[in-house]
Amino acid sequence: MAKIIYNRKECIGAASCAAVCPEFWVMNEDGKADLIGGKEISDGIFEREISDEEKTQAQKSVIACNKEAAESCPVNVIKIEE
Amino acid sequence: MAELKQFNTPGRDPNWCPGCGDYGIWNAFKRALVTINIEPKDIVIATGIGCGSKINHWVNTYGFHGLHGRLIPIAQGIKLTNTDLTVIAVGGDGDGYSEGGNHFLNGVRKNINMTYFIQNNQIYGLTKGQTSPTSDEETKTKSTPEGSHDSPIHGLSTAIINGATFVARGFAGDMNHLIKLMGLAIQHKGFAFVEILQPCVTFNKVNTYDWYKQRVYYLQKEKHNSKDKIAAIGRGMEWGDKIPLGILYQEEKTLYENLHSEIKENPLVKQDILNIDISSIFEDYM
Repeated sequence: MAKIIYNRKECIGAASCAAVCPEFWVMNEDGKADLIGGKEISDGIFEREISDEEKTQAQKSVIACNKEAAESCPVNVIKIEE
Repeated sequence: MAELKQFNTPGRDPNWCPGCGDYGIWNAFKRALVTINIEPKDIVIATGIGCGSKINHWVNTYGFHGLHGRLIPIAQGIKLTNTDLTVIAVGGDGDGYSEGGNHFLNGVRKNINMTYFIQNNQIYGLTKGQTSPTSDEETKTKSTPEGSHDSPIHGLSTAIINGATFVARGFAGDMNHLIKLMGLAIQHKGFAFVEILQPCVTFNKVNTYDWYKQRVYYLQKEKHNSKDKIAAIGRGMEWGDKIPLGILYQEEKTLYENLHSEIKENPLVKQDILNIDISSIFEDYM
């Protein structure tokens, strides 16, 4: 199982995540990014799990997509735990 | 109370490159306006030419998108005509220090109650990557294949020396700090000048978010006296391994508009011009 962790409080709305991984990231009207399907686990911190049940190939592409989002984020508020 | 959604432009989103520092500035700017509680109808944003100068397309206030480098005279003209408005000029480092260099030098000398945000990415981005007045020496671009031989402009020190009464620097990568700084600048009574560091992710591969993060430090954590003009000029000259963020200089000074009897009591726009007889002026030339 992998996990996406997103600190929305520190997001500056640079929109790079939504550009490289639009299946998971979308820009909100408040100017910051939203993690699609993410759940707020504490104040401004969002998580989304990528389950083992997903097909291996799909999981790989999902993780790669989100890793690119994390790497492209200028303020490093996206983390991927595998 | 002003709300963030009042400043949004539904259906029209910025077209800056993904990751551009302009996004952080744009987000901080709108939040600063909410924080200090100004209504969109009371704000005019005057801009020059450049990627960042398109900001007033995507902030729901009044706006004037002017010629390259001419944003200060536009902003000052608007302010002197209607002193009730909050007037904010926004443009890039090339626009402000090069094309608009003369306006910058002379605009800061007038303590008109307005704010000027200069977005400094050390490159001309809109024209696809030429050296700007803030490019470091040896910077290689299409226009300087052997590296720039020009000394970069120190805009903050220049502004202090020439009379700006609020001078500060922010960073697009620290939005919370920038929100406060922009709010304080807009609330300052007089000419407020803020240089905002921002990467150009497409055409400047040297001065990245990480490059700035490794160098910036916060003046509020230092023993810096923002009323000490000489010390502030010195801070403004700092560049390289350490780059100061925060308020470098601030002073109280009589507003330019309060020194002019014509507009001291009432903005020009609210004055009755229907019953003015200028025939006596012409008689002097007859």
